Amino acid sequence: MLANIAHRSRTCLAGLAGAFLIVTSGPSLMAQAMGQLIGTVTDPAGTPMAFTMVTTTSVESGYVLPAATGTDGTYRFSLPSGNYRIKFESRGYKTVEIRAANVSGPWTVVENCEPEAVAQTQSNTTEEPAQKTAPSPSSKPTEPSLEDLGITPSQAKGNAREQALLDRRSHMLKIHQRLGLITIAPFAATLITSAVAGGKQTSTTDRDLHAALGVTTAGFYFTTAYFAIRAPKIPGTQTRGPIRLHKTLAWIHAPGMVLTPILGEIAFAQKSRGERVHGIASLHGPVAIVTGAAFGLAVASVSFKF
Amino acid sequence: MLRKLLMGLWLLSLPAFAATDSQWVLDQGTLTYHVSHPLHQFDGVSRAARGKGVCNDAQCDFLIAVPVKSFDSGDSNRDLHMLQVTRGAQFPLVTVRTRMPESASTSATIYLDLEIQFAGQTVQYKQVPFKRVAQGRESRITGTIPAKLTDFKIDPPSLLTMPIKNDIPVRVDLTWRPM
Repeated sequence: MLANIAHRSRTCLAGLAGAFLIVTSGPSLMAQAMGQLIGTVTDPAGTPMAFTMVTTTSVESGYVLPAATGTDGTYRFSLPSGNYRIKFESRGYKTVEIRAANVSGPWTVVENCEPEAVAQTQSNTTEEPAQKTAPSPSSKPTEPSLEDLGITPSQAKGNAREQALLDRRSHMLKIHQRLGLITIAPFAATLITSAVAGGKQTSTTDRDLHAALGVTTAGFYFTTAYFAIRAPKIPGTQTRGPIRLHKTLAWIHAPGMVLTPILGEIAFAQKSRGERVHGIASLHGPVAIVTGAAFGLAVASVSFKF
Repeated sequence: MLRKLLMGLWLLSLPAFAATDSQWVLDQGTLTYHVSHPLHQFDGVSRAARGKGVCNDAQCDFLIAVPVKSFDSGDSNRDLHMLQVTRGAQFPLVTVRTRMPESASTSATIYLDLEIQFAGQTVQYKQVPFKRVAQGRESRITGTIPAKLTDFKIDPPSLLTMPIKNDIPVRVDLTWRPM
């Protein structure tokens, strides 16, 4: 049954009497084997302790994963195999920390060594323990709990997946922001060189420089847009505030950024043939100005408070 | 005669003793954090606070919990960034706990030791002053918690490569009513 008792903690402190952990190695889903860590936290009387903060910290990577016990005092983690520090915190009790839970075999048992600890029922499966009725905190004249506030364990429990989504979103939008700022430089240079590229006394060098800057601007622009478009969307979020203007302006500068180089190419060809820029190509300048203005306003809309 | 008088006094005193074990519930609560950036300033407001106070043996324990997601700065993108930097999905609640003598609940100014759990950290603020105004049976408590991002190991988010200030004072406006 229990093939490997890897570690017995000697760091338990008075207070949380029964903290009993079972770490099991589950089937290998990825390159690193995953395991289920489940347990129950009880007070010295054996009563399950709801909303106790349980925090696992990987000794190797430092990755911290917190959770709160349910109303039946149980908690559950899915963790890669490795060494973990496990901390139990509950107001009114001393903190219990198990400094090294070594998950190295098919089973690892870390047992509380508190003398007055009450042994918990062992389980060799990763199924949730049977629900027990936890005493209502309000039934005792003691300090209030989250349950008293009508907050359920699921509301108090963290969502690591959602946090990872937010992290990825912020990371991508930071790149979007930096690239957007960088784009301003070639964009401004392109607009400045347009004065010499489109004049009567224009030279091939002037036009080439203007075109090269335009292509650079477009490259930065579309890379910037990619990081905004591909940033994960957070379900249930309604767009409100200045970010709405920022997004709306994209409907102006994005088509403008497609049209401007096309019109510029036509104008470039007309100039190269010694012709005066005419027809639809004459819109190259105005479209570029509108695009630039919309882009600048989009940057300003999220940078300054109006 | 004296015996009847003492019995009468004892009966009159019963409600006063019974009142020592009392409970309070948060009727209305507003928490507002303030962020300063070189280019602009903004406030994030939450009206989703829940709270309860339990008084026993002349001591009152209060707990207030606010979902991190409930703070609204008026811009959804900014709120999502704040949610990310404060690890609000991983630690969805801000909880504030405090204990005070029951006698202090009638003072105009209350100094409280606060224990705040936020962003996976537990931080204590000592002797934070709050104003108390009695409104009928209710008590309105207002004050500012001098919170700092570094207290909770939060990296200051940046805009245009400029980070926000470390100070994020949190204004508190709570109306409590006895249960």
